[in-house]
Amino acid sequence: MSSRRWVGLGDDTPDGVAGGRRPRLGATAWPTYLLLVGLAVVYILPFLIQIATSFKTEPDAAANPLGLPENWTTAAYSRLFEFSDYLLWGTNSLVVTLFVTAGRVFFDSLAGYALARIPFQGRTVVFALLIAVMAVPGVVLLIPKFLVINQLGMYDSYSGMIVPLLADAAGVFIMKNFFESIPVSVEEQARIDGAGVFRTFWSIVLPMSAPAVMTIVILSFQGSWNELNHFIVSTQDPELTTLTKGVAQLASGQLSQGTQYPLKLAAAALMTIPVAVVFFIFQRRIMNASAGAVKE
Amino acid sequence: MTSTRKTGPRTGAGIQAGQQLSGWLFIAPVVLLLGLFLFVPVLMAAWVSVSDWTGRGSPFSSDVGFVGADNYTRILVGGGLDTQDFGTALRNNLYYVLLVVPLQTALALFLAVLVSQRMLRSRGFFRTAFYFPSVTSSVAITVLWLFLFSATGVVNKVLSWVSIDGPNWFADPRGVLHVMLGWLGVSSEPAGLASTDFLGISLWEWLAGPSMAMSAFILMAIFTTSGTFMLLFIAALQSIAPEIHEAAVMDRTNAWQRFWHVTLPMLKPTLFTVLTLGLIGTWQVFDQIYTGTRGGPAKTTLTPAYLSFNAAFNQQDWGEGAAIAFILFAIIVFFTVLQRWVLRDRDKVKRTKTRDPRLQHAAVEAER
Amino acid sequence: MRQLSDMHGARSARRRLSFVAVSGVAALALSACGGGSGFDEEGGGGGGSSDGPITVLIGSSGDPETKAVEEAVAAWAEEEGVEAKVQVASDLNQELAQGFSGGQPPDVFYLSTDNFASYAANGSLEPYAADLATADAFFPTLREAFTYEDEFWCAPKDFSTLALVINNRLWKQAGLTEADVPTTWDELRTVAERLTKGDTVGLVYGPEVQRLGVFLEQNGGGLTNDEGTEATADSPENVEALTFVQEMMQDGVAAYSVDVGAGWGGEAFGKELGAMTIEGNWITGAMQNDFPDIDYQVAPLPAGTEEATIQYTNCWGVAADSDNVDGAVSLVEYLTTPEQQMAFADAFGVMPSVEEVAGQWKEQYPELAPFIDSAEFAKNLPAAEGSADVLADMNAQLLTLKESDPQQILEGVQKNLEPVLSN
Repeated sequence: MSSRRWVGLGDDTPDGVAGGRRPRLGATAWPTYLLLVGLAVVYILPFLIQIATSFKTEPDAAANPLGLPENWTTAAYSRLFEFSDYLLWGTNSLVVTLFVTAGRVFFDSLAGYALARIPFQGRTVVFALLIAVMAVPGVVLLIPKFLVINQLGMYDSYSGMIVPLLADAAGVFIMKNFFESIPVSVEEQARIDGAGVFRTFWSIVLPMSAPAVMTIVILSFQGSWNELNHFIVSTQDPELTTLTKGVAQLASGQLSQGTQYPLKLAAAALMTIPVAVVFFIFQRRIMNASAGAVKE
Repeated sequence: MTSTRKTGPRTGAGIQAGQQLSGWLFIAPVVLLLGLFLFVPVLMAAWVSVSDWTGRGSPFSSDVGFVGADNYTRILVGGGLDTQDFGTALRNNLYYVLLVVPLQTALALFLAVLVSQRMLRSRGFFRTAFYFPSVTSSVAITVLWLFLFSATGVVNKVLSWVSIDGPNWFADPRGVLHVMLGWLGVSSEPAGLASTDFLGISLWEWLAGPSMAMSAFILMAIFTTSGTFMLLFIAALQSIAPEIHEAAVMDRTNAWQRFWHVTLPMLKPTLFTVLTLGLIGTWQVFDQIYTGTRGGPAKTTLTPAYLSFNAAFNQQDWGEGAAIAFILFAIIVFFTVLQRWVLRDRDKVKRTKTRDPRLQHAAVEAER
Repeated sequence: MRQLSDMHGARSARRRLSFVAVSGVAALALSACGGGSGFDEEGGGGGGSSDGPITVLIGSSGDPETKAVEEAVAAWAEEEGVEAKVQVASDLNQELAQGFSGGQPPDVFYLSTDNFASYAANGSLEPYAADLATADAFFPTLREAFTYEDEFWCAPKDFSTLALVINNRLWKQAGLTEADVPTTWDELRTVAERLTKGDTVGLVYGPEVQRLGVFLEQNGGGLTNDEGTEATADSPENVEALTFVQEMMQDGVAAYSVDVGAGWGGEAFGKELGAMTIEGNWITGAMQNDFPDIDYQVAPLPAGTEEATIQYTNCWGVAADSDNVDGAVSLVEYLTTPEQQMAFADAFGVMPSVEEVAGQWKEQYPELAPFIDSAEFAKNLPAAEGSADVLADMNAQLLTLKESDPQQILEGVQKNLEPVLSN
């Protein structure tokens, strides 16, 4: 693992190597910074526009898309809450996300530990199958999952929304990799002292795995909060609509004729807030984890 | 700490059996979930795709008959509306893939290189800024994009500053290539191309390029996924030991040569990963189409994934929907294998196609 | 760690097993509390208890319609003592199809002529209409539209026709009078030219065959023959008709609603992006709600070689698998009474499907008389199983009508329509 040398993205690497031929940013710094700032503006500006537009009136948004609102108004927000079930959608998203996250943490760590530290027969086969399963593209499974959910009687219910999302091979890999990095001596010690496999796992190894568990929590939260096609397929009851499904319906002009951009943008902005908050708090971990998880 | 050897079930075969059991118990939930929601569905869909199930009752009931490859032939060679729709969807998605994958990879690499430069201040801020769009949900971004690219939206406003009259992006079905050919004077279909059909669509239509609406989606895809791949490249760049650069610098090469002949070959595994992930992702574009244009305008944002969904859930033609899903699966596998084959490692020494001994030396250093 | 002895070892084994058992049970419990009925192996629910709650799924044209239906259903529910609720679909076709496939269809739902044939064919519908007391009171053409294999399946809830809606203010501003209301295509063209000024286009309509089809019919063409058994899409009359429309659009006197930045013809009309539009009676509700300041009049569509328009109708579908078919049918009976039909007409402008009530409607809304008078020469778009997809494809082609070749478009439609009608 030579990448260990450069642990921690975001740290300026120390300039400790002898032989001062290291290229300095000196003369070329300004163009680079300019370019970076320009690109950053392109990446951030849409979101700023989104927020600004959500406080505009409709005619203002159509006539003056780029500027600040003429009159700041929360009309879009109040109309959003008045005429749609936004709070219900938020509650549903929250419920699903909580259960999926808890479930994934539990099941993925169990499976990851088994693959990492329990030498049982068939381990390699299961491992290979996990990799194979990860190769199946998600959208191809849209219709098939609907069929299965129906057969199992889980259609149009919370369990139909939650249980299929618990299947997560990437999370198993993350946990497995982390467990493998825990020194075997810790577990050997526990084993010698007579602890069973589960006890070792639950009381000793898992508490040490806080970073990996946090990673799973963050990835699961993000994944299930932003999930759309699974919810389209697994529910039809308006009471079970989540934020993604609800805002998608809004986007197709549900509330009335005409384009109501401030309202739609307000809806989109609000639903992004939780994910954005989690992102900003756990930036480093997310960005490290994404690189690691996706690489698998 | 005393280490007392315990007897009984903790020794020898006992440990084995205990571990066997616990191993399977631990892995059981995940295996069960994946089996039930990934493996079994594929089998069920395979059955539905060769049956005439109309959507009512169970697909395994005795009323449902086996129709062999009827659904598949109807889609691939039938020539009717189903074939035309599939051809259109394939064409649209093909342009999407051909534009998004290279552009997002290049942009991600470019951003990674910019952000990974040593001595760069506020690297964290830039990384965050570029990665943030990837965190948002596709629904939220699509809604935002619908606004930005509307007829009186931000993009057209900016274009008007350089006196370009922007199209009504999401309502404009004109193909980009057709528009460009129009500038060159080719405004209607040449006779030869009009009469030949592939998958129900004339060759002239195949050359239409992505429509304006699809182009807006392409830009959206690049916007949202370049951040994720940028992170992969950053990780890879950081794992390249600085001695390699040292060696190349000491051989007095310039930055571009260094990048092209030293850094890039070392990034090959990551490049592979990014391209593969890009291919798999772009062939499955669905959420954005569902939220945004639902296949319009004039079916130019129709994709196989959305077509499969539409056939099953809107038209109640479940056999066709399942068949399209499997065909899509085959397409994804094909492209992934193709990509891996095209970019495979040939003879290592030949990798640096340069005669410059300095760079060859640096490259050889990099191999170690 | 001294305390971990054999005793604890055994205990931890038990604990481990119990843990897994508990999670297994939890998973089962979660799926049990799902409540989905899975697939319904047997055919119809056929009656069942008449107390079961009723779900009504509608595809609403806006708030007035939603409110009207909710009020009506609530009134019935109170009278009968049965629970009933109305759901507004954001995508009626999808939610209906998904409901049927998921084994949980709504009990009562809007069913358009597009989908009627396929649902009747696969046994999803309950053929209750023939047994209704009012079965013979419906307009014959409407009854025809919902007859499949010689059985009258579901009760038409209302119908609409297309007519020409004119903005009075812009009309007068262009110096036009009552005498100038167009009755022929040439007059239509002339008037549209006079009305095209600034940002306003003379004539605006939706980019679909559901609007442009009137021109095909008025020229003596139409997508099918009168019996609906043969595809006639590529007839020279149709080509002539589409060419006429194309020329108007190329000359800028007519435009699609999307091209002027509106979602549909009514919106373009309301925002005065178009001075005239081709729309159905539903436009009255939208005008009242969204654009109350527009003063408009309704005229029959101008004739080509003959007078023609297109009519639209939906029926109240009842699911064969419903738990409470009797209740559902009783609700439909209530909703098709003359009083209720007039109530709907008042709320969102549709025309009643019961013949005798239509006279009452005409009396109450004399300014909307052209809509109901047009019913005389109203035609239907093809509704055989599979034709909806052909029409959707035609709409996709029509979007670029300004730049493309009408002959080619119609040939494509002919090619797709023939297999559909030959079944």
